[in-house]
Amino acid sequence: MIEIPVDHRADGIGVLAPSGRLNMVSARALRSAIEELVAAGHARIVLDLAETSFLDSSGLGAIIAGLKTARQAGGDLRIARPTPEVLAVFQLTNMDRLLRPRDTVDGAFDD
Amino acid sequence: MTEIPAELEFDALAVPESMDDAHGVLEQLWALDESISPLDRMRFELAVIEILGNIIEHAYANDVDPRVRRVTMTLTLDSEHLVAELADSGVPVELDLSDIGLPDFEAESGRGLAMAQASVDEMTYSRDQGRNTWRLVCRRA
Repeated sequence: MIEIPVDHRADGIGVLAPSGRLNMVSARALRSAIEELVAAGHARIVLDLAETSFLDSSGLGAIIAGLKTARQAGGDLRIARPTPEVLAVFQLTNMDRLLRPRDTVDGAFDD
Repeated sequence: MTEIPAELEFDALAVPESMDDAHGVLEQLWALDESISPLDRMRFELAVIEILGNIIEHAYANDVDPRVRRVTMTLTLDSEHLVAELADSGVPVELDLSDIGLPDFEAESGRGLAMAQASVDEMTYSRDQGRNTWRLVCRRA
């Protein structure tokens, strides 16, 4: 199971912090959570991965779908604080070049 | 405490709901030998979950009785290797494993087998007597 707490920040940025494994089962929940945020006007999204213990191709697909959804709405999706294990999955697929993981949630939209 | 070599077996319905149970079996495996490095755990778990996901999504035609859509998984551990064998009785896999690549950056699916292959040291597939068997080998750091 996965929990995806949402933080609607005052600056308009939405922060999602999936806690648990992002796999075939939970990827759907992440897709929905991102779509809901964008529909609610939060097209700038930070995905805080500090508590995400596992990521597979389905989870990666949900992140890419979310990135496209956010960009189509004029925003963006930024990745923050991946664990070394999750970062290794991004590197394995070269997705670290597209997603450029950030060190902090607060600074994820600084550049 | 080390209790190796060890073998764990898992037999489940080939449905998405079995995924978390498979993660649980991997956790049991890690508990048998605390000296397995975090990177080896991650890459082995990733490959196992990707192959399991592939079986769940593609092995059985939609009209197959759900009760016979099964997957078996055997995990073995010794001081040098982590080995997984995943088997199903679904349709043969028509794929050239020597030619699996990653799709475009923007693709939302189609990475699973490439990720499995890239994360372990050996990945083989065989078809014998109506059974598909995937074998994954990770040489421990």
